[in-house]
Amino acid sequence: MTTILTPNPDAGIAQTPVRRCGFGPAWLLPTAGVGVLVAAVTLPWLINAYLISLATTALVMAVLAMSAQLLAGLPGLAPLGQAAYLVVGAYTAASVATLTGLGPVQLLAAAAAGAVAAAVTGVLAVRARGTTFLMVTFGLGELVHAAANQWAPGGSEGIHTPPVVALPGLPAMVRPGWVYLYVLACTLLIGAAVAVVVRTRFAWLLRGIAAHEPRVQAAGQHTGRLLLAAYTIAGGIAGAAGALAIADTRYVSPADAAMGVSALALAAALIGSGSMAGACAGAVLLVAARDWVGGLLGGHGPTLLGLAFLLLAYLPRHRLAGLTTRFPRRRR
Amino acid sequence: MTGALLRLVTVSRSYGARRAVNEVSVELPPGARHAIIGPNGAGKSTLLHLVAGTLRPTSGRIHYAGHDISGWPAHRRARAGIARTWQHPALARPLTAVQNVLLAVPGQRLAALRPQRRAVTAAHAALAQVGLAKLAERPAGQLAYGDQRRLEIAVALAAAPRLLLLDEPSAGLAAEEITRLTELIRALPDDMTVLLVDHNLDFVAAVATTVTVLHHGQHIATGTPAEIRDHPDVRRVYLGTDALTSPAPNSPATPAAVAGTPVLRVRTLSAGYTGAPVLTDITLDVRAGRVAAVVGRNGAGKTTLINTIAGLHPAGPGTDILLHGQPLTGCDTRRRARAGLGMVPQGRRLFAGLTVDEHLTLPRPHPTRSRSVDARQVLDLFPVLAERRQHRPHQLSGGEQQMLALARALLAAPDVLLLDEPAEGLAPAVVGQLAAIITGLAAEGTAILLAEQNLALACQVAHDIAVLDRARIVRHVATADIREYPTDLHDLLTVPTTAPTPS
Amino acid sequence: MGLAGLVNPYTITALDGVAYGLLLFTIAAGLTLIVGVAGVLSMAHGTLYLAGAYLAWYLADGGWAGLALALAGAVVVGAFGGAGLAAAVRPLTDRPLDQVLATLGVAYIAADQFSTVFGAEPRSVDPPRALAGSVSLGDYQYPVYRLGFIAVGVLLVVGLFWFVERSRVGAVVRAVVADPGMAAASGLRTGLVRTGVLVGGGVLAVTAGVLGAPVIGPSPGVDTTILVYSLIVCVVGGLGSIRGALLAALGVGQILTLGVALVPGAAAFLLAAAMLAALTIRQRTALPGRPA
Repeated sequence: MTTILTPNPDAGIAQTPVRRCGFGPAWLLPTAGVGVLVAAVTLPWLINAYLISLATTALVMAVLAMSAQLLAGLPGLAPLGQAAYLVVGAYTAASVATLTGLGPVQLLAAAAAGAVAAAVTGVLAVRARGTTFLMVTFGLGELVHAAANQWAPGGSEGIHTPPVVALPGLPAMVRPGWVYLYVLACTLLIGAAVAVVVRTRFAWLLRGIAAHEPRVQAAGQHTGRLLLAAYTIAGGIAGAAGALAIADTRYVSPADAAMGVSALALAAALIGSGSMAGACAGAVLLVAARDWVGGLLGGHGPTLLGLAFLLLAYLPRHRLAGLTTRFPRRRR
Repeated sequence: MTGALLRLVTVSRSYGARRAVNEVSVELPPGARHAIIGPNGAGKSTLLHLVAGTLRPTSGRIHYAGHDISGWPAHRRARAGIARTWQHPALARPLTAVQNVLLAVPGQRLAALRPQRRAVTAAHAALAQVGLAKLAERPAGQLAYGDQRRLEIAVALAAAPRLLLLDEPSAGLAAEEITRLTELIRALPDDMTVLLVDHNLDFVAAVATTVTVLHHGQHIATGTPAEIRDHPDVRRVYLGTDALTSPAPNSPATPAAVAGTPVLRVRTLSAGYTGAPVLTDITLDVRAGRVAAVVGRNGAGKTTLINTIAGLHPAGPGTDILLHGQPLTGCDTRRRARAGLGMVPQGRRLFAGLTVDEHLTLPRPHPTRSRSVDARQVLDLFPVLAERRQHRPHQLSGGEQQMLALARALLAAPDVLLLDEPAEGLAPAVVGQLAAIITGLAAEGTAILLAEQNLALACQVAHDIAVLDRARIVRHVATADIREYPTDLHDLLTVPTTAPTPS
Repeated sequence: MGLAGLVNPYTITALDGVAYGLLLFTIAAGLTLIVGVAGVLSMAHGTLYLAGAYLAWYLADGGWAGLALALAGAVVVGAFGGAGLAAAVRPLTDRPLDQVLATLGVAYIAADQFSTVFGAEPRSVDPPRALAGSVSLGDYQYPVYRLGFIAVGVLLVVGLFWFVERSRVGAVVRAVVADPGMAAASGLRTGLVRTGVLVGGGVLAVTAGVLGAPVIGPSPGVDTTILVYSLIVCVVGGLGSIRGALLAALGVGQILTLGVALVPGAAAFLLAAAMLAALTIRQRTALPGRPA
């Protein structure tokens, strides 16, 4: 048995077969993507102001869902506290807003603050695995919620912020359509950055951790540090979502760190079953169910969200193997 | 001394009070092909974990390439050139074979979007080395079991290790796959040191130049395969000959009257783990008042057989298990227990934290059952337990633990008793006691199925013996015949003197 | 000095902490067994407490009859709630994430129904008149009801410990925690034990709600607060361990009262530090990749 090199070692390595759709011709996916993009951009001219602000909220949740997916979909650790970093980002953006109205500056500051907060708290979170990880991140989220009530400016009342300026020289954005387009542009940028991250060797190693953590250790990697890095990046994305939330509502309060927001992000990630685009779609669906359908029925948003969670739990879904292997069967 | 690549100096590892590895010293020169063998519970896997860094030694030192690596975490040892495989394939199933290998290729940047050409070449080379070049783009989860095992080795080879650790590489492989594995290991570069743990002694003899035998965590012997084969201590470890010094067995034919129709019938039983067949086409009967023994080497599938009958392991399609003529195949574990199956599992599986008394209050015979037993009768049988009623399992000796496991099973007044390696880890005197108890139980009419590696115990108590080898029962014999022709059975159970027996 | 010297603002707060800790233990003991035995992370556990608190508010009449009626109701509501949750998670065996989602969904729907029926504003529940006053401890006044609650809480702790550590049923429960497969092979009804633990945990949580209503009154959001503190107790105490739950609950109770009094605003950090310490210690003592 001699060592034979295959003639073209690069063949097949470039593709990422994990998230390939198994149906439809090859042109279907790009075409659908372009269609969604065109629809998203033209949306402000098609619907009323109320729906536009809902769409903005959906985009913010989509960013948060990507943050949750980075943990749930790659290393298979389901977080239930991502809203904590959203709130950290939102308060940071609010304090930056007293200095400058420039949106991109707020966004960067919020992302940095979210990442720092995640790096500090992640030391605790990445020690846990499986259900305990979920419990610990949930506890951390609620503790940040409590701390925000105590320490954050404005207390439990929250604070209001001035409208955001997209680029230097432009007027502040007040109309929902412009805010929507700004948030959409930022979401696309973040999405592009995430798309790069999930294609790095780092992301492949995270997938390896989901399958079998000791194997990645035996490959010479410190898995705790890899997970902490993933947790930090996810916190940064959640912080960026916080800056977008400020741009959207011009208001932040500790209630934004409530469990409901984290749960929605996690559920959206689970709907996406490992795919970032799926997580975004899931977030849009869940926000539509909670706010739009809830609005039509005159309240009862939580009930609708609860029904959506129940549906999600009982419907058979395709999931990445990583998600299920992370939670091994009960030990015998 | 200085030339050794890996040197273990009086390394020990304890789990609570139990010493899984007890002051073992081993030395591997560069390029060695070293195997560690020993019966179940010998501490082989623990030793491999200690070298790989997944476990830390309780005492003792591990030197590797001139460094003391005892305190190094697993990833640091991996970077120093120690690679390993796992007993059960633990691959990233959605990733393709070549992606699995690429994860282990060292020297790549974390932020790299595409693997470097050099890394891809190395990954394909590793795949070609194990003969998987054609399946490189197939997701690992879709590979056949044997191919997954070879992919495991490719992943380990991709790191270009100086020391390769193989954990049960031949487990679950068919005969021709083992032949290919043997060729693969023989073709490894001469400067690569290989340390492997395996149950398959033919395979070990074929690939290893030196062998270490462990027993109960202790070093028994080290030498070439031929030396090990003839070593008297090794033969004793594998065959348990020391137990034969205990009193001569009762005449196996005493209660001939009770030995009527079979109580437990097993027909065409099959079972496996993650796609690897462990048992195929097992057929046997256990009669009231008689002891049927299933003997075989480590890894032959004895424990899987017992667990499958008890319902703790899923049976393959076509399996029929009948108790008193009633099919058990669709019943869960509890219903089987209620129907009259009692079990003493391997490793005893006592309930941690429960006292002896609590263990004895748990099982209750089902009210519909005709027989009943109370704790007093059972405690009469095991006087040692009566003095330890408030003790918890970790405070008991191995023999007492085994008695407690047996007592727990007997309290449910089983018609059929499944015993899985009851003599494991027990002193010869205790084995003698155990044999007397088993014989006594059979004399009272209980049907007993004994899975045992200790041939001496099996011959002492059993009426019929079935030999399990490579997933099948290769022969049924009466105990009396074995006594007359012991050699052919010894070959099946210990280090072989010939090529593998065709099955 | 003597006894009077012991009574200062801090010991009074510490006494509050004991009451808080015992309340948390009553809730978290059920949850830790539910996670340890049934393997279900029930996110609806705080909802059961809230249901009990609303039950106490609805039935409170200032006398003993209302309390007795509420306690009887708690047993019924808790049993039905626990059995309902057991039925809901039964099809989701071995899918912990889906169990979390399903129980979370139930919690959301229940929270929405509570605020529809009982309104969004906090309700205050008065204890029975006989326990409404306060007694003087040294120079301080202390509510009688809290002292009574501590007494009842201690009784509950003793009862639970006796049940889990001394009774045969408790031995069965611990056997299922230790080795479910072998418990089944010994003829124990593991499925029944799992349902029973969910029912028992439900009854405990609703009872805690009835008894704790005068301390932590019903209002929207209390379910989440209770859930997070009992989850923290479970993480710190270790899943499935009733002793760990008691120690952790008393500790968390002190952090939330005495800790807040001594270092205002530090409770969140102290709780996070406690979780970090517990996880780190357990990671050190656990055996990674322990061979069979």
